[in-house]
Amino acid sequence: MFVFWSIALLLIDAAKGAEVCYDRLGCFTDDIPWSGTAERPIKRLPWSPEKINTRFLLYTKNNPNNFQEITAIKPETIDYSNFNASKMTRFITHGFVDQGEENWLSDMCKRMFEVEDVNCICIDWSKGSRCPYTIAANNIRVVGAEVAYFIKTLQAKYGYSPSMIHFIGHSLGAHAAAEMGTQVPGIGRITGLDPAQPYFQGTPPIVRLDKNDADFVDVIHTDSAPTIPNLGFGMSQAVGHLDFYPNGGEYMPGCKKNIISQIVDIDGIWEGTRDFVACNHLRSYKYYSDSILYPDGFLGYACAGYNLFETGTCFPCPQGGCPKMGHYADEFKNKITSEFQKLYLNTGDAKIFARWRYKISITLSGKSSVRGYIHIALYGTGGNTRQYQIFKGKLNPGETYSNLIDVELNVGTLTKVKFLWNNNIINPTLPRLGAEKITVQDGEHRNVFNFCGSETVREDVLQTLEPC
Amino acid sequence: MERVLILLLLSLALAEASPSQKGLIVNLDNGELCLNSFQCKSGCCNRRTGLSLARCTQKAAENQECSHKHIYGVYYRCPCESGLTCDADWTIVGGITNSDFGICQDPTQSH
Repeated sequence: MFVFWSIALLLIDAAKGAEVCYDRLGCFTDDIPWSGTAERPIKRLPWSPEKINTRFLLYTKNNPNNFQEITAIKPETIDYSNFNASKMTRFITHGFVDQGEENWLSDMCKRMFEVEDVNCICIDWSKGSRCPYTIAANNIRVVGAEVAYFIKTLQAKYGYSPSMIHFIGHSLGAHAAAEMGTQVPGIGRITGLDPAQPYFQGTPPIVRLDKNDADFVDVIHTDSAPTIPNLGFGMSQAVGHLDFYPNGGEYMPGCKKNIISQIVDIDGIWEGTRDFVACNHLRSYKYYSDSILYPDGFLGYACAGYNLFETGTCFPCPQGGCPKMGHYADEFKNKITSEFQKLYLNTGDAKIFARWRYKISITLSGKSSVRGYIHIALYGTGGNTRQYQIFKGKLNPGETYSNLIDVELNVGTLTKVKFLWNNNIINPTLPRLGAEKITVQDGEHRNVFNFCGSETVREDVLQTLEPC
Repeated sequence: MERVLILLLLSLALAEASPSQKGLIVNLDNGELCLNSFQCKSGCCNRRTGLSLARCTQKAAENQECSHKHIYGVYYRCPCESGLTCDADWTIVGGITNSDFGICQDPTQSH
């Protein structure tokens, strides 16, 4: 009964909304759908722009290590800075409890400078993000308005086109795009890195990141399990033109380490502690960061579900190619066909996360069938891979076993394949098995390579197969 | 202090009780801290330098750097994957300091 009344009171309370107005940025209400709905039960108004203190930290090729702080309130700071109005501008925004001076933002800028010349602006709103979640979820509206104001200033000052803007937001930061996209039409691109789920999933498009906020919206989902009870922080809902679900989008490899191993990370205790709290959630920007340097290492395969992707139903890429997750997703901008494209791929468990997918079919030869496993390694112009398990169980000569593997490098044109099998128990009859034929299909280019072998080998001996 | 200990014990108990195949002492995944290779699923407990912490790591593929199987059980370069031999010299100093490094090669192919 108490619950009923409290909900009823809440709804009555929400019905008469309050409003705050800030002179540069406009008004913010707490009316439906901003609060008083099932998704957003607690009523909050965003803090003032002064209190949130949104800062724009500019990195360029000329100052990759130290930022220049610029602001649209004093436009002359942009004149004095290294900002180049003829170059693209990429904004990077952090999420809840995080800050703009965190390493991952500036590291992402540095990686961009390796491949392109852009204005890379890290947005810091840490004063507004380190507070109860319900408040931070509303403060992000002001941050979005600040970015919009910044872009409008650029427009007025340099005739800078919004189509040259790329906004990258992690977690709560991704939803700043809602306000920004409403205020400035025609923004070139928005990338949502695991957009926050609580207070946004299931809400109307005006509240959250949506594909109407820019000409092109791509989203990476890495922590999309339900917040209750799985503690997933990211949205599972597809909200962009392209929605990528690496590793299925819910649980990322390398995030299930025991507590000590997780915190005592290779990249230090701080990185480890961050991963301990939100490993899956933070993977999204790590994948993005790696994708800058490995353009073809994150191909998304359009599929109806992750289980279908895993069985190989959606392999290889269609004729037009696969969209690339991360930095180069916009190469697919003009090829978007269906309403919501869900794209699946697998990544590595530690950096470097890039992986290349191949389909392998092996026809066995030999005399007797044994129980054991089959391993295979690919050799090509790009180098050679480590051994990957194709099958485990009963190995029958004459039968064909196929599987998909995600290898750690782009093998290029395949030159040979090595086959290895192993019996799990000691077998005194010393059986011999071989691969008669191995077919390898490359996911990106759809090329099929055939390899043949005539011999059989003992267990734990490599058999080399040549092209045929 | 007691609280920390209790919390640690609790988390240990929880980790042990989890039905998944991951382990705390043995059956460790890649990237987890280890003291000896027998703890790792991959069979290699690797550290970069004498001072750094050791973690379970993938064994070395063909043409990658490797060391022979060693009694210490902790490696600066992992031993090779099955079917490959580590083409490294045996030296006395290297034997003691575990620094006889070579390249993984396929013994069935003449080099």
